[in-house]
Amino acid sequence: MNFLRFNLPFIALLSFTLFIGCQATLAPAYDQAIVEKVTESSDLAMRFFAEVDGGTSSESFAVREPVYNVLIGAFESLKLQAKARPVPENVALDKINELLRAKGSSAISGEYPSAFAFEKIAETFRKMKQTDRENGIKPLALQAFKGQVEIFLDQAITYESFLKR
Amino acid sequence: MAQDVSTIITSIKEIASDILEKDISTVRGFSERQVEAIAKQTVIIQKGIANGDIDEDLREFFLDGLEAMALNFVNTLKGILMVTLEKLWNALVNFLYKAVGVVI
Repeated sequence: MNFLRFNLPFIALLSFTLFIGCQATLAPAYDQAIVEKVTESSDLAMRFFAEVDGGTSSESFAVREPVYNVLIGAFESLKLQAKARPVPENVALDKINELLRAKGSSAISGEYPSAFAFEKIAETFRKMKQTDRENGIKPLALQAFKGQVEIFLDQAITYESFLKR
Repeated sequence: MAQDVSTIITSIKEIASDILEKDISTVRGFSERQVEAIAKQTVIIQKGIANGDIDEDLREFFLDGLEAMALNFVNTLKGILMVTLEKLWNALVNFLYKAVGVVI
């Protein structure tokens, strides 16, 4: 009887894990290709920001247009690559999603934070391109574009690197 | 591979601590960077609006951006937490299976 009393929590935990069934996958797979591409694209983005440091004028927009197109394309493609990974499906994840919904939080789905960040970076370059073409970009607006890209890049890189477990 | 309860409890605690300590330091660094960067971004937008570098159209764009980056900051933390939970779960299950002599 004493044995049961002292070991009950452990037996319960063991039964639970045996019932649930070994390994769980709660997050998407690490993808080395995404990490390499985001490193390369962020390098290109930061070099571009360094080139236009201080602001731009719409007269010279044509020189920069190809770089905008490359950057928008690169981050759109990263968004697709990040989203293309299947959402893990298993009992453990179902339970966690139930708990998240019960707490009023959104469930874990294919909307990975890195995919969202890549989408927002592409949107930022699209807006920057439009502003540059129409009026040129003033110094503080340029700093704000750069800050926005850097923050989303940090979110995407941190998440993607963390998937390497 | 007979083990008593206290040995098993100690091992479980060690496994959990190892994973949590490593992951929490990553989360702390990320959170500090993000909070500081979002605060700086807010100041840049304020100054840009005040001196006219940021017009009405860009103001809306950057305000939406601030909202999106705050939302995704929380979602990134949630995503990281899921990876930590997964590592913790699998390490514990591996240990428990080994403790009862099951190979997985």
